[in-house]
Amino acid sequence: MTKPYLELQGLSKSYDGRTRALDGVDLTAAKGEFITFLGPSGSGKTTTLMLIAGFEAASAGEILVDGAPITHVPPHKRGIGIVFQNYALFPHRTALGNVMFPLEMRKVPKTQAVEKARAMLALVGLERLAERHPREMSGGQQQRVALARALVFDPALLLLDEPLGALDKNLREQLQIEIKRIQRSLGVTTIFVTHDQSEAMAMSDRIVVFKGGRIQQAGTPLEIYNRPVNDFVARFVGDSNLLPLLLTDPTAGIGEIAGIGPVRVPAQPGRKAGEAATLLLRPEGLGLAGEGAINTCRMQVETVVHYGDSALLVGHAGQTALRARLPGLVAQGITSNMEIVLSWNPASAHLMPAVMRDGFQNS
Amino acid sequence: MRLALILLGAVVLAFVATPLLIVVPMSFSTAVSLEFPPPGWWTGYYAAYFGDARWTKPTLNSLGIAAAVAVLTVALVTPATFAVVRHRFVGKGLVNLALMLPLAVPHIVMAIGYYAFLADIQLLQTFPGIILAHTALSVPMAFLVLSANLKGFDRGLERAALSLGASPARTFLHVTLPVLWPGFAAAALFAFVQSFDETVVALFISGRDTETLPRKMFDSIRTTADPVIAVVSTLLFFAVAVLVIVPVLWRAASRRRLEPRP
Repeated sequence: MTKPYLELQGLSKSYDGRTRALDGVDLTAAKGEFITFLGPSGSGKTTTLMLIAGFEAASAGEILVDGAPITHVPPHKRGIGIVFQNYALFPHRTALGNVMFPLEMRKVPKTQAVEKARAMLALVGLERLAERHPREMSGGQQQRVALARALVFDPALLLLDEPLGALDKNLREQLQIEIKRIQRSLGVTTIFVTHDQSEAMAMSDRIVVFKGGRIQQAGTPLEIYNRPVNDFVARFVGDSNLLPLLLTDPTAGIGEIAGIGPVRVPAQPGRKAGEAATLLLRPEGLGLAGEGAINTCRMQVETVVHYGDSALLVGHAGQTALRARLPGLVAQGITSNMEIVLSWNPASAHLMPAVMRDGFQNS
Repeated sequence: MRLALILLGAVVLAFVATPLLIVVPMSFSTAVSLEFPPPGWWTGYYAAYFGDARWTKPTLNSLGIAAAVAVLTVALVTPATFAVVRHRFVGKGLVNLALMLPLAVPHIVMAIGYYAFLADIQLLQTFPGIILAHTALSVPMAFLVLSANLKGFDRGLERAALSLGASPARTFLHVTLPVLWPGFAAAALFAFVQSFDETVVALFISGRDTETLPRKMFDSIRTTADPVIAVVSTLLFFAVAVLVIVPVLWRAASRRRLEPRP
């Protein structure tokens, strides 16, 4: 990776002095990177954002932007643009007045400020609504004003706190593309907080998955999707089958799944025979078994959900619950109560640490 | 059942409105003393009110005191409200209680207390004394009004302003104040009306030169039953009605103006 632009070093936050809302977060981001913080509520993603913005003080750790520590700089001197979930537009100012605000605070000469604010409104496609007040605008338009306002002063960082949460699906997808386009054209390093995994997959250069105040995994969307480090990440991003597996021959890549039998897995050099593990099989990695296929299992289909382009089959293989997603055409003849034979490519399966009985992964 | 409800409403309305129906005609009466129904009609007592320093001086006193009380109350209540609404601190419940106490203590008790206390600190029968006493009485209402407004205020706006480079002071000036100003205005209005209307404490602590209008009215009705009282009452009623109704109309109008366009 190139020289880090944003660095979080051992960042921790406790609100009550006992429990930790954030527990030793280390992260770096390169200049211009689009990073998404993904996690359920209470996972620490928003807390991290608040610490970077300066609205909350870190209990421990350091935040550096371009090499300079900002941990103890007050929020109004950090020069970080933020877009809030509820827009937080100033109701007593017009769209233009809102976008001018950061320039006025920086004492930019009036004519120059107007010019710059109008250019930014044009970039978000709102030049014609400059004189409107926030309550005269739709949610999507307000969000664009908020984005223009957060970007007009060339911020060191752009933070987006679930900015699309309040919008309907179509508008959300439209704005996702829009935000990506604007972010790329300005090259501003961006942190995007969401609990929506498809949003994270669609927009990010890198995804950081949070849980319990810690980073579970940081990586590109495909790394996170294909090679999650544990069952939490696997479950949180995408649909998944998590099958308990016993390694019988790690070097050759052979294991055993109760109720299914011996299966081929990617070779696990260095692991011992008899070790437990969890096999991640994405539902779309399963297909109808052809002649001489390896890694097969018989699935008792209980429910078929047709989406047209694809179909989701829900059922059991032995005692194990299984979900398979087949192309729509392939699945057309399949009905509930049928038994089908499925197979998967050993390379598309991913081995993770075993899931302990209480649901926490063993590491 | 429905008829009974309508009847009940009518009776309540009549009960509330009857004093008005008596006072307003009496102000246009020719009678030398308060008398109903009026024997004849003229506006001479209005002329008498505006031309008589014995009436105009207490009026100006009351206006000045009420204005000072409004300003002082808002100045004192604002930091208190922000502290109580936004922060957690030891003794917060006690502070809350102290702020609301003037609402619970009977005015006559407060009046006696002020009488003794203001005499001790040489402020009896002075403007500062009355202003201080009235401010104390206005604090609970102003605090309630302002804290209700502040609780509904989106702190995200302040965070946004900070993130955009406004210092905390400029954030207050450019965002909090303009957005919350109806709350501040309402708090000031309540304080103003409370002071302007206050009689019991004023009877105890105002003096000859610092006489307030309600006190003057009380003295007048005890001694002469001058119909000018009816004039003052009528004027007061319409002044307060305007103060209360205008903001309501103005808000309704601005809401219509700001309806989202398609």
